[in-house]
Amino acid sequence: MIGSMRRIAALARHNTLLRVRDPGPFLSYLLMPMLLMAVLKPLYLRAVPGGTSQVATGMLVMFSVLALHIVGAATLSERGWHTWERLRVTRATVTELLLGKSIPVYAVLLLQQVTLTGYGIAVIGVRPAGAWWLLAVAIGVWGATLLAIGAALAAVVRSHGELHAICDIGALAVTTLGGALVPVALLPSWLQQVAPLSPGYWALTMLQAAIRGDVHRTLTAAGLLLTVGAVAGVVACRRLSRGWGRATLL
Amino acid sequence: MLHAHGVTKRYGAIRALDGFTLDVAAGEITGLVGHNGAGKSTFAEILTGLVEPDAGTVLIGGRTPGAARGDVGVAPQQIALYPAATAREHLRLFGGLAGLRRRDLAAASDEVIDDLRLGDFLDRRTGLLSGGQQRRVQAAIALLHRPGLLVMDEPTAGADPETRQSLLAVLRRRAADGCAVLYTTHYLPELAELGATIAVARQGRVIARGTGPELPGSLT
Ligand SMILES: Nc1ncnc2c1ncn2[C@@H]1O[C@H](COP(=O)(O)OP(=O)(O)OP(=O)(O)O)[C@@H](O)[C@H]1O
Ligand SMILES: [Mg+2]
Repeated sequence: MIGSMRRIAALARHNTLLRVRDPGPFLSYLLMPMLLMAVLKPLYLRAVPGGTSQVATGMLVMFSVLALHIVGAATLSERGWHTWERLRVTRATVTELLLGKSIPVYAVLLLQQVTLTGYGIAVIGVRPAGAWWLLAVAIGVWGATLLAIGAALAAVVRSHGELHAICDIGALAVTTLGGALVPVALLPSWLQQVAPLSPGYWALTMLQAAIRGDVHRTLTAAGLLLTVGAVAGVVACRRLSRGWGRATLL
Repeated sequence: MLHAHGVTKRYGAIRALDGFTLDVAAGEITGLVGHNGAGKSTFAEILTGLVEPDAGTVLIGGRTPGAARGDVGVAPQQIALYPAATAREHLRLFGGLAGLRRRDLAAASDEVIDDLRLGDFLDRRTGLLSGGQQRRVQAAIALLHRPGLLVMDEPTAGADPETRQSLLAVLRRRAADGCAVLYTTHYLPELAELGATIAVARQGRVIARGTGPELPGSLT
């Protein structure tokens, strides 16, 4: 048990170091939404009721989905460097490897969302009516869902190019469909029908409910997202525990 | 220490291993030689537990490769390092994963740093190191936790004579301490220097076993 904790700690420290050495993506996924929130706020205020909350949560969801790229690349790189196989021949179990890798990445996702939420409140003028713990639950759940989806993506794609394409197009599709750019109520009706198929829709629903203080709706959405995350997590774990042997990325 | 009998591994139509049998005693260095594609690295991968054999027995100190993982040190043929991390950071990570505590880790690191002369580039990112320097870091990771079985897959490929000498010297010392060493190479004089027994692999099986002078020249 103690041995296991130590191995997880060694991995987490190493992975933190790798994240810190490559801060570019994180900074852009942090600064860009801040800029966009400020720029787009006047437009949203005129266009929709609750424009402030819409612009803050919309940008947060969109750029947190873009940050899937950080999650995916963290795992995919290990495939390219052959270090995943190297780690698998150590004493560490696959669970330890996954935990040690995930903790720093999860921290990155939380840091992004907490910072953007703080910015939304302090600068953009979002006024949360509910309890803080509700917001914390929403952010924690959304981070975990993204972590699992990102790991699953990294386990199934065949190249960095594929990961890029899926994250970029996927982020736009998922968040647009989910109502991050334009509130779902204003989407064409056929899009409104399929919007709930997008995890982005539930993320947005959850965050906006948490800001309003709607406990029931926040937790319902959280449960749904956790289910999606659990499925993705199982896919990721199963694929990663088999490894890739000699097969390299394209 | 290492007992492998009748190990078979197929990849589609390719028989990477076809009844591979080999024993390596504690304290023994065995040089595994053979043409490209003879199955040397596949056998090494099976020893590390990364690849499951289709048939046959593999025991390391009486345990299966999966169960013996912590007691095997591996230097793979392929470079497998984090380009953005330094050699020292690699030692810290893999030492930690092997269960070395702070003080033991420091002592073990100092030893391999000294043995493999990593001092000059210890704090440079491995992605910036030369091929031979990267090989030395890999070898250091394999040696760090003093495993009972060392699997070194062409560890001197691309190494300069001095590096080669220092690696061979460490391996001789480790063997004298009771470590079993499986060493693949295409360079036979190294095996004489190591005082290794030789196993000749061809088409997935060991076709000859003995010391250098015992084996017919046509095989080696
Ligand atoms: N994962 C794999 N998928 C498909 N074929 C494989 C795989 N691993 C090994 N092989 C095949 O098995 C055979 C043995 O390969 P192996 O790497 O063990 O040879 P080797 O003796 O190490 O050769 P070399 O001296 O070139 O390193 C080769 O034909 C190789 O293509
Ligand atoms: Mg080989």
